Amino acid sequence: MEHSLLFLTAVKSPSKRVRASAALMGLGQLMARQWVKGLAYLGALAAFIAYMAATGVRDIAGFFTLGTVEADPWLGTAGDDSIIMLLRGLLTFVLILGLVLLYRSNLRDILETERTGAYGERAPGFVLSMRSFLNNKFYVVALAIPVAGVLVFNVIPIVFMILISFTNYGGDIVPPKLVDWTGFESFRRVLSLSGIKETFFRILGWNLIWAVLSTAVNYFGGLALALLLNKKCVKFKRFWRMFPILAYAVPGFITLLAFKFLFSYGGPINHYITAAGHSAVGFLDIDAGMKARIIGIFVNAWISIPTSMLLATGILSNLNPNLYEAASIDGAGPWQQFRQITLPFVVFSTTPVLITNFIGNFNNFGIFYFLRGGLYMDGYFLASDTDLLINWLYNLSIDNNYYSIGAAVSLIIFLITSAVSLSVYVRSNAYRREDSFR
Amino acid sequence: MRKRTSFLILALILALLLSACGGETGAGSGGTTGTGPSDTGPADTGFQGDPNNPVILHVLENDTAKAEGYLEALLTAFNEAYKDRGIQAVDANMDEFTDLATNGPYGYGPDVLYQANDQLMRYAEDRHILPIDVEKLDCYASTPEAAWDAFHMTLDGTQYTMGVPVNVQEPMLFYREDQMPSDWQTRWDRDGNGTADFFENWCDLYALSREIHDADPNKFGFMVSMNNLYLASPFMLSFGNYIFGEKDGVLDDTDIGFSKGQAVNGLWALRQFAEQMNEGCIDDTVTLNRYEKLADGSYFTAISTPDTYSLFLGNLTNRYKQDGLSEEEAAKKAVENLKMVELPGKMPLNGDLSQDSASIAEDGWTTTVVMGGVNGYGISSYTKYREACLEFVNFATSFDMIKLRADTLGIAPTRSDVAAQCGDTADIIFNSLSSGRIYLMPSIKAVNQIWVPCQTVMGDVAKDPFRVKQGEAAKYPGTAELQAALETIDRNIYDAIHTLAG
Repeated sequence: MEHSLLFLTAVKSPSKRVRASAALMGLGQLMARQWVKGLAYLGALAAFIAYMAATGVRDIAGFFTLGTVEADPWLGTAGDDSIIMLLRGLLTFVLILGLVLLYRSNLRDILETERTGAYGERAPGFVLSMRSFLNNKFYVVALAIPVAGVLVFNVIPIVFMILISFTNYGGDIVPPKLVDWTGFESFRRVLSLSGIKETFFRILGWNLIWAVLSTAVNYFGGLALALLLNKKCVKFKRFWRMFPILAYAVPGFITLLAFKFLFSYGGPINHYITAAGHSAVGFLDIDAGMKARIIGIFVNAWISIPTSMLLATGILSNLNPNLYEAASIDGAGPWQQFRQITLPFVVFSTTPVLITNFIGNFNNFGIFYFLRGGLYMDGYFLASDTDLLINWLYNLSIDNNYYSIGAAVSLIIFLITSAVSLSVYVRSNAYRREDSFR
Repeated sequence: MRKRTSFLILALILALLLSACGGETGAGSGGTTGTGPSDTGPADTGFQGDPNNPVILHVLENDTAKAEGYLEALLTAFNEAYKDRGIQAVDANMDEFTDLATNGPYGYGPDVLYQANDQLMRYAEDRHILPIDVEKLDCYASTPEAAWDAFHMTLDGTQYTMGVPVNVQEPMLFYREDQMPSDWQTRWDRDGNGTADFFENWCDLYALSREIHDADPNKFGFMVSMNNLYLASPFMLSFGNYIFGEKDGVLDDTDIGFSKGQAVNGLWALRQFAEQMNEGCIDDTVTLNRYEKLADGSYFTAISTPDTYSLFLGNLTNRYKQDGLSEEEAAKKAVENLKMVELPGKMPLNGDLSQDSASIAEDGWTTTVVMGGVNGYGISSYTKYREACLEFVNFATSFDMIKLRADTLGIAPTRSDVAAQCGDTADIIFNSLSSGRIYLMPSIKAVNQIWVPCQTVMGDVAKDPFRVKQGEAAKYPGTAELQAALETIDRNIYDAIHTLAG
């Protein structure tokens, strides 16, 4: 909108130079004898036109067709690679967006030049403009590289994944076969095909319970451990702190495989159960049900509590001990002190971490993949009763190569976690009282 | 229409290419039968590179071949033989399961790759590997048709051979000779053929297992992870059932047949045998502890693959050392006592293992069928040097190289001439392959989807006797429930392959 207004202002401007820059980026600046700036704008435009002529137009066409000629590796004949075409088309759109932003800066620049000229001042040269830009908009310069990094490493892959969910990529349709746009077909299948729909909602329900429970257990477990090790009466604190850190230092999947063995029929737990004259217990087998879910939460706590403990220990060290002294004088007991002083202080500082943990647990692939992978249960479509959406996504997409379905489920997971995270965050003190809470 | 036209062109070009390959003279060309070391000269494809600037072939081999030094020996021998022809082969230095479909189209990946038939044939359907005119290769005539079948693919009515077989794998039965029942010759060799009956039929193996387990609840006559389709395949494939059916001579992944024929009898036998095991048969516990447990005498027999022989041997040697023998004596005794035989060849047709084997008529048995695989070489479609690759494959499957491979790695070769010289095990496996006792893993992509559905149901059925022991209700008390379980396998496999395929 702002951009349209800027363009209309420029086109209707009485100044020839402004109208010239609106027609041809950089021309107005040249007319104002701003040679370097004018040539830079013109050069950027020329480079863009050259790129579009060389490959850009073809890339955009390819983005829409996703290829028309199928490669034949046997004959060695080259064909179109739909996925590369999709990616190149996406990059071309990003470049077009970049040009639009550059064009906008060109209009703003020439309008600013005209404004200063109206006061009888000399239009600033390139060096002066750059100096002024650096002084007034240093944040733009400072943020340029991080923003470019986020664009390349985060935004483009996410957009790419979203685009994939609107194609039929996967299954039998993998290069050299050509991929097609299929609209919302992947979403329709996930949400409407008999069996898949039921499985999706069953897993989603368990996934939400898992994420909330495991986040709470890890968080409060870590906090409890940190408070315990902060007590004056605890001797050899460093020694005790070492153990959770050791558990944290062992790679996660090694821990998971160790726990899988621990709870297997041939593992030490069942060894002692059978040695005591009882029957072996299937902790993780097909009948395990709730047992397997509880073990999952316990194992996740084993892996994650050390992180929470370290975090809480650091935050607690900043807490003013006088607050507790004052509270004691006022008659507050330990529980009240915890509720009124410790908890608000820690929660305020760690709300963003808590949200990150929630998302991490929601998408915790490893726990049930390593503990209980390789089961398809009755009532579930290619999944088990402990699988999370991310595990099901793996079964559906990577294991079965249905990339578009996987992308659709990913997008749904993304929407759910974003909605939950944002709504929790904007209601938290960490967001609402960011400047005042202390 | 476009597809059909491209295949006509393809057929024409392949005919031209392959006639060029076989046109030159060569020591082993023309489908000669390799019978000995003198036969190992390369079939000539006519490829002549620049000796001063040789073409480089990247060869992907498995980790065992690298670790045991076979790959180095192969490359050295090939490079020496082809130094004047301007071809040099090097280790591709990639993960043995590297995905050609992902890397190949972008110019990465090996030129020649050695993988199991189910892995290699995943690439065939999308043409990531080249069809090979195998009749020109030295190994052609000495390799049985069953091994070639593992690499056949039919496209639009034309059959192509996509790989060159090297060796075959099947599950084998391992046992300790010194743990044999002392009276086996009088009690367990009714036909007096010198082979214990429990190595010949499943009823006697079951009877022996029951006897061993009844005498000592911590000992077991036969152990296997019942949830492992490959190892426990005799129960899943011996009863007229199949994995994928065929339509017009082509594997049909819409026809899934685990529940077909008298499959339910096999699943009943699996459930019955699980009673004579412990709960370790439900998950992969047995697969992990079989080496140690066979060595300490807890298991009399266990199923494994021939390439794990050294693990059994190492554990048994350690056991004898713990018993007080010296290193040398222990190793010698372990080699003498560790035996590897094929699984019992006869399974009762009605699946009831508790019958007296003597009471079963000849037509009351069915032949045990086990799942197996053929490893072999394929040529990447993305190689720049197709003829040079063919030269390499021909050299690597020559008599000398396969013999060296068998001697170094203990594989069971698919070349009959090498198998005949490699001793009992290789010869037995080779004969099983030729006679159809080995059900080769289907050579289509869809085979990836069979494992988890089978694993789930097989583990669940194996658990049933333990449910009953714990006072719970049996989940599979009769054939109707077992049949339903088999149909669940078929349905899940079908769903995994087709539901989302569009």
